[in-house]
Amino acid sequence: MILNEEQAMLRETVAQFFAEKAPISELRSLAAASDERGYDPQLWSEMVGLGLPGITVPEAHDGLEFGWMGLGAIAQEAGRCLVASPLLSSVVLAQNLLLNCGSDAQIATYLPSLVSGEATATVALDEGRFFNPDAVATSDASGTLNGQKDRVLDAGQSAYVFCIAKQASGERGIALFASSTEGVSIESRCMMDLHSAGSIRLDGVPAADIVWLTGDDVEGGIQQTIDQATVVLAAEMMGSAREVLERTVAYLGEREQFDVKLGTFQALQHRCAHMYCELELAESAVSAALTALDHSAPNIGLLASSAKALANDCFTLISSEAVQLHGGMGVTEEMDIGLFLKRSRVCNLLLGSSSYHRDRYARLRGF
Amino acid sequence: MSQPESHPLSKEALAEFRTDIAGWLEANCPLSQRQPIVREEQIWGGRRRVFPSQDAQQWFEACRDRGFTAPEWPVEYGGAGLNSEQAKVLKQEMTRLGCRPPLYCQGLWMLGPALLVYGNEAQKREHLTAICRGEIRWAQGYSEPSAGSDLANLKTKAEDCGDHFLVNGTKIWTTKADEADWIFCLVRTSDVTPKQAGISFLLIDMATEGVSTSPIPLISGESEFCQTFFDNVKVPKTNLVGELNGGWAVAKELLKHERKMMSAFEGMLEKPAMELIELADYAVGSDDQERLNDVELRSDMSRHLMRETALGQLGERIYWQGKAKQIDPRLPLLMKHLGTSEAQAKDELILRALGDEGLSMEDPNVSAGLRKMVKQWAFNKSLTIAGGTSEVQLNIIAKRALGMPSGEGKS
Repeated sequence: MILNEEQAMLRETVAQFFAEKAPISELRSLAAASDERGYDPQLWSEMVGLGLPGITVPEAHDGLEFGWMGLGAIAQEAGRCLVASPLLSSVVLAQNLLLNCGSDAQIATYLPSLVSGEATATVALDEGRFFNPDAVATSDASGTLNGQKDRVLDAGQSAYVFCIAKQASGERGIALFASSTEGVSIESRCMMDLHSAGSIRLDGVPAADIVWLTGDDVEGGIQQTIDQATVVLAAEMMGSAREVLERTVAYLGEREQFDVKLGTFQALQHRCAHMYCELELAESAVSAALTALDHSAPNIGLLASSAKALANDCFTLISSEAVQLHGGMGVTEEMDIGLFLKRSRVCNLLLGSSSYHRDRYARLRGF
Repeated sequence: MSQPESHPLSKEALAEFRTDIAGWLEANCPLSQRQPIVREEQIWGGRRRVFPSQDAQQWFEACRDRGFTAPEWPVEYGGAGLNSEQAKVLKQEMTRLGCRPPLYCQGLWMLGPALLVYGNEAQKREHLTAICRGEIRWAQGYSEPSAGSDLANLKTKAEDCGDHFLVNGTKIWTTKADEADWIFCLVRTSDVTPKQAGISFLLIDMATEGVSTSPIPLISGESEFCQTFFDNVKVPKTNLVGELNGGWAVAKELLKHERKMMSAFEGMLEKPAMELIELADYAVGSDDQERLNDVELRSDMSRHLMRETALGQLGERIYWQGKAKQIDPRLPLLMKHLGTSEAQAKDELILRALGDEGLSMEDPNVSAGLRKMVKQWAFNKSLTIAGGTSEVQLNIIAKRALGMPSGEGKS
């Protein structure tokens, strides 16, 4: 549940890199230019230079095999700066979906360009208002692929789409196609956290342009991938929550009213101490889940749902309190605090709200 | 019988020790003493001790005679003189067989370790031996009606009268003091400031004239805690532990051991009559997909079970950090507050689930196991108060973990 020496070193490198190259001001200027791509390709190519796309990929596939704890640490550092990049969409979701659900030949064909950073891909998972991966309407029953996928991360900038869809047999499968394929229309939008997600309409995408993943256990692989991504997103959220709590505590240590620092008031101290308790509690659940991924533990579903539900609740609390404790400044666009608030609410919906995960947890434990 | 060793043992010697211990436990621990302990059968020792059964007495005496009531204390004071490796082996073997702790005693967990550091030779010989042998039961006299969280504000006075101290005042929350023989107290021996610098650590025989104790009825219907009064009590000067006005240091040493010893016993506690999930299913029922009929209770249970698990994971994180020497000193500060509030959250879920059966602690129509859970709900309200209130914990976290500035209060 702790980083090894190499992981700790990488964490430090990445933290410095993000602080230098991807401060929140960069995210803002990207959005101000109404750049629908959602992230800066130059930043991404430098992240590729650090080897980030191959972070958990086995050495046999030219990856770094740094483990999930290692990836979790990077995600946390990204969370501190609210970095927009295809880390979650391509590196975590798409690559692992391919590794978990593809045949050896498919992995050999498509993985290298993703690991080398030559191309990025995304996973079309959601349909409709909420995250509910079990209810999939998109299908190829009529011989062509039809349907609509929502909140597809970095949809506008991904070369490939891995789309969860019903196969003719009625089972969930994964349709892989290029985003430029006939019948695929992508509508990107910049969400309030200045990250990009899009809706993808599929109108009679020809069967000939689709590759269905044919690994040994596609259904199990889908669930495995969702759990992996859920844990990494939870780790990223913990980084953001830690950053915004630190900013808040620092602010209370500087701001004076009634001739004293605000931080001397016990009412405010207790609120901060409470937040810190919640932070480390959630962080522990996230660390345990990352460790379990590294050891291929069997109960990953329970651990992933715990990690995400606790991360949701914790980041929601801390980001709301951060705005309140910054007083008037908290609701100004001048401060970044509001961006953490918005990011928290977007993350809540991605890969499952607390209600979703509490329900799933109860189901898995049989109550 | 193995001799105490100060240097680390070889692997072979330790393995031999383990075989020896396993054989001894097998021969000396009756099967009835290898069941999870229930509160009523704990052996607390003391002048008025009674054994719940012949087996319990036999097990206690076997351990006493081999020094296993205090395995790491020196043999000359009644311990077994084991080094920490050996003591660990003993504990592992006892856990493996499910052996009950042979003796429960505040003297064993708290006073003893402090006496080993601060006591003089005569005090060690007199008191440590009586503790290990279960002859004297100790109570703790720290808090006072006007000195709770602000412990240093204590007023119980020990006046220097030449060959003895004259003690006047009162101590509250003296756990089971009505069954104890001696009490270790923090008393005021000087009015200097800071207040901590005028406190001494005194051992008082509760049979002395002027000492009286009365139990305090609690909302759980029990009287675990007492109030003890001192009215012109003469205490020999030889009962002062450590320096005069140096009691605060002794008290701190003692608190260090309290937590360590209590956690050692956690694994051997009695199991509740039903686990939460089973209880909820019994009480509110489930639909054909095994989902509890009370959807809100179901969601709140998930939240609690996740947090309870995460608490264990926080403990693991602290453990691994310690092993790798990458210690984050802030994390242990969180355990008391998080742990006690989550324990109360569980009690609230149990009470909610029980419905009608949760309305009485005494109703004979409700099973004893369930009534115990209701009593536990009420009793556990003390968890966030005793041993440093949650509010004090939050003060400590704000200052030491978050580095927030000190305000007008001094806690």
